Amino acid sequence: MAHELPYIAAINEAIQLEMERDETVLYFGQNIATTDDDPFLTAFGKDRVRVTPISETAEIGMAVGAALAGYRPVVELYMAEFMLVAMDQVVNEAPRFRYMSGGRVKVPLVLKAGYGFTAGWAGQHTGSIYSMFVGVPGLKVVLPSTAADAKGLMATAIRDDNPVCYFHHYLLTLEHGEVPDGEYLVPFGEAAIRRSGTDVTIVAIGWMVDKALAAAESLASEGIEAEVIDPRTLVPLDSKTILESVAKTGRLVVVDQATRFGGASGMIAAEVAELGFDTLKAPIIQVTALDASIPYSEPMERFVLPDEAKIVTAVQQVLGQAPVAA
Amino acid sequence: MALDARAALALLRTMWRIRMFEERVGVLKRADEVYGLIHLSIGAEGVASAVCTQLRADDAVYSGHRAHGHALAKGAPSGRVMAELMGRSDGLCSGLGGSMHLVDVEHGLMGATGVVGGNIPLALGSALAARLRGTDQVAVVFFGDGAVQAGHFNESVNLAALWRLPVILVCENNGMAEFTTRSEHSVIERVSDVVAPYSITRETVDGNDAAAVWEAFARHLAAARGGEGPYLLECLTHRLRGHYEGDPTQYRDALAAEEWRQRDPIGRLTRLAADEGWFGEAQAAAAEADARAEIEAAVQFARASPYPEPALPGALVYAP
Amino acid sequence: MSSDDHGLDKDRLTWILTQMVRIREFEERVKSTFEEHPGAIRGHTHLADGAEASIVGSLAALRDGDQVMATYRCHGYPIGLGSDTKALMAEIYGKSTGICGGFGGSMHFVDVDRGFLGTSGIVGQGIPHATGAAYAAQIRGKGQVVLSFFGDGASKQGAFAESLNIASLWKLPIVFVMENNNYNVVTRSDQEDANAAAGEPLAVKAKAYSMPGVTVDGGDPIEVYGAMRTAVERARSGEGPTLVESKVYRLSAHGNIIAPPGVPLHYPEHEAITVFGNREEYEAALRGDPVPRFRGRLIGEGTLTPEQADEIGTAAKEEMEAAVQFAWESPLPDASEAVNHVYA
Repeated sequence: MAHELPYIAAINEAIQLEMERDETVLYFGQNIATTDDDPFLTAFGKDRVRVTPISETAEIGMAVGAALAGYRPVVELYMAEFMLVAMDQVVNEAPRFRYMSGGRVKVPLVLKAGYGFTAGWAGQHTGSIYSMFVGVPGLKVVLPSTAADAKGLMATAIRDDNPVCYFHHYLLTLEHGEVPDGEYLVPFGEAAIRRSGTDVTIVAIGWMVDKALAAAESLASEGIEAEVIDPRTLVPLDSKTILESVAKTGRLVVVDQATRFGGASGMIAAEVAELGFDTLKAPIIQVTALDASIPYSEPMERFVLPDEAKIVTAVQQVLGQAPVAA
Repeated sequence: MALDARAALALLRTMWRIRMFEERVGVLKRADEVYGLIHLSIGAEGVASAVCTQLRADDAVYSGHRAHGHALAKGAPSGRVMAELMGRSDGLCSGLGGSMHLVDVEHGLMGATGVVGGNIPLALGSALAARLRGTDQVAVVFFGDGAVQAGHFNESVNLAALWRLPVILVCENNGMAEFTTRSEHSVIERVSDVVAPYSITRETVDGNDAAAVWEAFARHLAAARGGEGPYLLECLTHRLRGHYEGDPTQYRDALAAEEWRQRDPIGRLTRLAADEGWFGEAQAAAAEADARAEIEAAVQFARASPYPEPALPGALVYAP
Repeated sequence: MSSDDHGLDKDRLTWILTQMVRIREFEERVKSTFEEHPGAIRGHTHLADGAEASIVGSLAALRDGDQVMATYRCHGYPIGLGSDTKALMAEIYGKSTGICGGFGGSMHFVDVDRGFLGTSGIVGQGIPHATGAAYAAQIRGKGQVVLSFFGDGASKQGAFAESLNIASLWKLPIVFVMENNNYNVVTRSDQEDANAAAGEPLAVKAKAYSMPGVTVDGGDPIEVYGAMRTAVERARSGEGPTLVESKVYRLSAHGNIIAPPGVPLHYPEHEAITVFGNREEYEAALRGDPVPRFRGRLIGEGTLTPEQADEIGTAAKEEMEAAVQFAWESPLPDASEAVNHVYA
């Protein structure tokens, strides 16, 4: 059975269910549980749920220490950019501890942070910087695009014995979706085929999934059937599903709200170029943000970001129907 | 260095300009003419005005996410600040930065940041530059009490104290950091006590008493111009709206009229000016009216400004 | 036994000297490996010679179940906690029998069973880890205490400030032990610390976090024990953290030289000499070496006879000789092991 929930509530539901199930799960961070009637505080008490000062290095570092000492913290970080203040803890401490100990310890923790809030929140709050955390062995990176996945991926993240960066998209916060009741886990490393098609594969990340689906609808009216794949997790990445799809369609467009260079889109494109070369009928096209910080003013903000029209154009290019831009 | 009639009037006029600007922005935000993350400083005008009106254009000022008042008081034209909030090409930053990222180098507003306390180390850099150049410029950075628990604040205080940099750290302690009260952030109530171990000159004043802020800052400024530092000036204030517009709590409406009367820095300075014989009702009323007119003009200017060319950002990522 | 031994009986005093001697011997053998078996140790090692009194005096205040975290200068703590010195030496030699299977090396010892939760190679970044372990101890409610060891250099890091603030606010069962050896690699403390520059003890930093700050002579294990016992009891009773500034003098350079492959590694002289030309400072520290000093004190008080003290020394030498032999003879890990343990 399922019920309808907004994306943000689905995340909270997962945290709550996991905290009920496992008393070692903790939840702390800035601006949470500040009133006595806070639901997490009333349910789980002041030991397991705490508000912290603005101290990201200590928050994330403490999560590492508490994890080493047998607990499973979820750290509320609000915005991916705030993780940058504590980069050492995220990249150099949490994911490397287990390895350096030769497997003697584990560091189960979840870093929960929002991203991509392109609604005038300007240059320092709106980045899609999740790719900075890919390529860090020991760290996992997950990006739900639906309410159901938001719940299922959070539950899996909490149960995972490794540090997990859980990035939720701010513009999806109030998006409603059908969310399974009770315990619901979405495994890592399993992409979701959101729409089946035969003419082109579109791999879209996070908020771009909806844009890709919208583009697919308008392409369908031109007789083009696009297959839209949502990887759901960047680390681990389900390359197999993507390669199988490209083997079927022969064409690939990768859509990411992040910038072109050093990002997930390039990573996916390279995987397919190397491992699925023989199946490609056209070069791969990436639709990404321009290589700029996100500007404040609305028309500029829109200009910098990928959108439905840009996806449609890319598909037409990859099908040879539109000239490739110079 | 006490306030005199001329300075007090300039102070009042600046405070009214900020008040009018911020109240108007609140209205514009609800109408979606101004958007994104907006933080207002209604009720805190005393600190911005008392500090910035004593600085020169070549003194560096840094601020945080609640920067409109500091920008205006430091000399940024209200029309260009408003245009920035509306994302127009005549904005201070051509619409690229928005409310939290105001820059006006011509007037010494070196930057604002959305990362709490993020600009404090930068202010040290400006102070160091002044020292190296051998000038009497100073650097001032505004931040809230929430920033004091962040590692970079502590790192900066140690270094500023060690190198004796001419930087004045102005902490607007409104007892709130985002949505939590200070007691959830620290056991130390007074920010000036947090820096006690560094033996720097520190002072706590009533931030809503613009005259008191003015006098305290004047002393630190004089010493800093002589090449000394750092200084911490903690100004106790109150935030009269929520953390940002859209924050459900609206404090001002909840405050009793008498409480507001006690706290409102504009009212207090006006009464003080009358008691001291500096100026009377007519000039006070003129300050208010002039501010209203100026801000109305600022809004018209901003509305008339075109949106920037969409391709602009790409050209500005790197310096040539 | 003298009246200021804080209630430590002969067995405890003997234990303290024994651990100090064992640590010294271990560190001396690490250092001499660079001459005896060049190439056996790669990378960067950091020794605790000179800090033994501070380390052991602190550990003496703990009980079973308590936990410790430290920095890259980490050999002494697990030795004092009872880790297998063969496995420790093998780890430094990068062997598969090392305490971390050769994955970590000198800077990253872990021995959870003995309460040593780990280290960080990044100055100051282990302090939040220890704070988190103390948070866990608080929730668990079994009265455990955590010791967080770090150097004076770390006290300028944001991580230090943030952790002490939170620990004080939440009254965590932790003691922050700053081993102040007055140097941060080649920088003297008064060149980088506003308090040190003003001639103040670094313990004054505790004031900013509303916790007690005490300064002790880290060369006297009994004085250290006394202060630590008070701090540990305070933490255990739920009253919160303490900042203990333990003044030590490290008798070796910061670490072995950092050099590209092909250049033989070795330990240079102490920075007091090589950088500041202050040989007298170093020689004075040598004269005050805490290990022979404590040995002499115990003999002088009649707690130990010279023969008994010699036996301790001999046993330590034998133990560490066996550790070196074990490490030297142990196999390297299979190269393909490298992709193991990335994820749990």
